[in-house]
Amino acid sequence: MPDEPKTNNILVVDDSPTMRRMVITSLGSLRSVKSTQAGSGLEAIERLAIEPVDLMVLDLNMPDMHGMEVIDFVRKHQAYRNIPIVVLTTKSEESSRRDALAAGANRYLTKPFDPRQLADVVSSLLNAS
Amino acid sequence: MDTSNPDNRGEFFDQFLDDYYAECDEHLISIRRSLVVLEDEVDTRTVDRAVLDNLFRSFHTLKGISGMVGLAAAEQLAHHLESYLRELREGTVVLSGPGFAAVLAGVSQLEGVINARRNDQSIPSIGEIVQRLEAVSADQSSVEISTTSEPEKPANDAVTATRWQIEFTPTAELAERGVNVNSVRARLQEMGQLIQAKPVVKGAGEIAFEFIVATQAGEAALADLEADGLTFQPVPIETTPRVKDSQPVPTIAPASVVRVDLDRLDELMRIIGELVISRTRLEEHLKELKPVAPPAVWRSLQETSLGMSRQLRDLRESVMRVRMVQIGEIFERMTFVVRDLARESGKKIIVQFSGGETEIDKFLVERMMDPFMHLVRNAVSHGLETVAEREAQGKRSEGLLSLSAMTAGEMIVIKIADDGRGIDRNRVRERARARGLSNGNADLDDAALLDLICTPGFSTRDEADRESGRGVGMDVVKKATEDLGGRISLATKTGEGTTFTIELPLTLAIAAALIVSVNGQRFAVPQSAVREVLEVQSASTKVLENNEIIPYRGKVLPLLRLARVFEMNYQRAEKFHVLVLGEETNAVGLAVDRILGQREIVVRAIKDPLAQSQGIAGATELGDQRVVLILDITALRQLAVTSRH
Repeated sequence: MPDEPKTNNILVVDDSPTMRRMVITSLGSLRSVKSTQAGSGLEAIERLAIEPVDLMVLDLNMPDMHGMEVIDFVRKHQAYRNIPIVVLTTKSEESSRRDALAAGANRYLTKPFDPRQLADVVSSLLNAS
Repeated sequence: MDTSNPDNRGEFFDQFLDDYYAECDEHLISIRRSLVVLEDEVDTRTVDRAVLDNLFRSFHTLKGISGMVGLAAAEQLAHHLESYLRELREGTVVLSGPGFAAVLAGVSQLEGVINARRNDQSIPSIGEIVQRLEAVSADQSSVEISTTSEPEKPANDAVTATRWQIEFTPTAELAERGVNVNSVRARLQEMGQLIQAKPVVKGAGEIAFEFIVATQAGEAALADLEADGLTFQPVPIETTPRVKDSQPVPTIAPASVVRVDLDRLDELMRIIGELVISRTRLEEHLKELKPVAPPAVWRSLQETSLGMSRQLRDLRESVMRVRMVQIGEIFERMTFVVRDLARESGKKIIVQFSGGETEIDKFLVERMMDPFMHLVRNAVSHGLETVAEREAQGKRSEGLLSLSAMTAGEMIVIKIADDGRGIDRNRVRERARARGLSNGNADLDDAALLDLICTPGFSTRDEADRESGRGVGMDVVKKATEDLGGRISLATKTGEGTTFTIELPLTLAIAAALIVSVNGQRFAVPQSAVREVLEVQSASTKVLENNEIIPYRGKVLPLLRLARVFEMNYQRAEKFHVLVLGEETNAVGLAVDRILGQREIVVRAIKDPLAQSQGIAGATELGDQRVVLILDITALRQLAVTSRH
C-alpha cells in the first residue's frame, strides 16, 4: 500500500471571482487537492507568505501587480522557486506565451479553457514535482 | 459532473451563469463611472491613465468570462472595446468625440447582449458597433502623434505631504484578524496618496510588502499602524519614485465582499418567515396558558417569548439589509442613458441626483429597472426641449433632469423630475377621445391625466419613438409599480416640467398589515396601502347612483364593501370601520366590520390558479394555524373604479 498522498494546496489567482470559481470547480475532481484563492498579484504573494502552496494557477492581466511580475518574484526567491505555475489567460498572442514561459511559467493555457484539460495539466505537474 | 465530453462543457459552465451576470453588472457599473470621467477628456490628450487602466481591465475581464460561458457576442464586443482602450493606453490614438461615442455605443450594446442572454431573448447583432470601433481605431492610428503619453505632472501635494515608506509583514495570525495586504493598502490609501506597493523578500526569506505613501498625516497617525506589525520611516525626497498622475477611480468590489445568490437569501427569508409564524403561534399558546400556569412561570415564559420576538426582528432586519442595494447604482445607469440620448437628440441636459445612498431591495431594483428607464427616456425625449426652444422661452439652455430618492416609513419615494415643457393636456385629451378611451370633456387633473396615459394602447406620439418605445409603455410602468405594492403619481405644469413620483415598499416578503374582519372572516390589509382608518356610523352613509358614499375631508369617499366584492352575506351594523386607500384625490374607502389589530405578516403568493381570485394578493398564517387572505389593494381599487362607471 502506498502512503496516503499528501494534500496539495493550489493557489488560484485571478481578479475575476467568477473565473476563480470556474477554475476551482474544474479542479474539484482531482484527488488530494485543496485550493485557496487570491484576487490580485499582491494577494497571491501574501498567500505564499502565510501558507504552503504546491502549485499556482495564475492570470496575467490583474490590477496592482501583473501576472508576469508575480512569476518574476516567485522564480527569483529560493523558497518559492520550485512552485509550478500554470498561466491561465485570455491573451492568446504567441509573444505573450513565449514571454511567460521564458520568465518561468511551466504551462501556458488560454481562456476560454477546457476544465478537463486544466485538471489534467495541474495533475501532471503535481505528479512530476 | 462529467467534463470529458466536450459537449458537456457548456453545461459545466452554465452553473456559473448567476456569478457571471453579477460580475458583469459590477463591471458595467464601474465602466459607466469611468466613462463619466473620460468624457471630459475627449480631445484633450491628457487622458487619465488610471481611468483607462480601469476600463481596460473591466473589458478584459468581461471578455474572459463571456468566453467561458459561451456568450460569443459579448466576448467579441468586449474584445474590440479592450483593443481600442489598449490603443488609447499606448497612446497610438487620441480619444476623439467619435471614438468616445463608439465606446458608449459599444458598452450599451454589450449590456444589451448580456441582458438578452439573461432574459433568454435573441442576441442582438453586434456587427455595426464592431465596425464603428474598428473604424475609430484604424482611422486614427494612421495619424502621427508626437506625444505618446502625457507629460508627468508634479504631485499636487508635493509641498505639504511627507512621503513615508511603510513595511508590512503578513502572517497567518494577522490575516485571521483581518489585517492583510488589502486592508493595509486600503488604510494607507485613506491617509494619502499611495505611490507604490510591492513585495520584497527579507534576509531570512520572509515576504514583506513595501508601500510608499504621501500623506499629510503626522507620525501619530502612522504610529497606530505599528500595533499591526507595520514599520515606517520617512522617505528621502530624492529617491522618491515619480508619481503617476491619477485621480481616484472607483474600484470593483473589495475582497471582503461576498457575492450571494438572491435565491439563497430568499430561502433564508422564507425560514425566518416560518420562525415569525411559529413565534406568533407560541404567543397564542401562551395566552391559553395564562389562566392555568403559575404566574411566575408564565411571566418568565412571556419575557422569553418577547425577547425572541425582538431577536427575530433583528435577524430579519439583518438579512433584509443584505438584500439592500443603493439606488444610486440605478441613477448612474440612468445618467448613461441620458448622455446617450442627449448626444443623439442634440439637447443639453444636466442630471442631478439626490439620495443615491438610499437603499432598496435588490429584487425591487431588478423589477423596476425598465420602468425607471422608460420614465427617464420619456423625460429626455418628450419632456425636455431643445436648446433653441428653451432659449426662446427664456429658460436656461441646459434642461434639468433630477433623480431623487428618500425613505418615508416603510416606503422609498423616488422622483423623476424634468423642467421641460410639461405634458400637453389638450393633446392627451384629443388622443384619448380619438381612441375612445374617454369622452374627453372633463377637466383633466394630474391623477386623471396619469390614468389616461397609463391606459394600455395609449401613446402620445404617432411614430414609434425609438427612445421611448422599447417594449415598455406607461401602462407597464404603472403595472410594475403596483404589482410590487407601490404607487405612482404625476405632477405636471405646462412650460415648467413634469415630475413622476414612485413609491415602493422597501422590502417585500414580510410586511406590516392590519387584520380586519368582515362577516366573521379575517383579512390582512398591507399597511402601506392604508392612509387612514375611520370609524363610521351607518347612519352617515348615503347612496348615490347605486354607490355608498360617506363625507370625507370636505368631499365624498366612495365605499367598497368587502362583503359585496366576495359575495358574502352581511348585515349592516350600527358602526363600522373604513380604511382609506389611495391618494386623497381618488381615494376609496374599504368598509370592514372590525379592526382586529396590527401584525407582521409573511406574504405568500397563491400560485394555484384554481385558488386565485380577483382582489386577493396572497395568503398568510397568523399563528393559530388558520390561513388569512391578503387583500390586493390595487385590484380592489380598480374594482371600485369600474363599478362606479
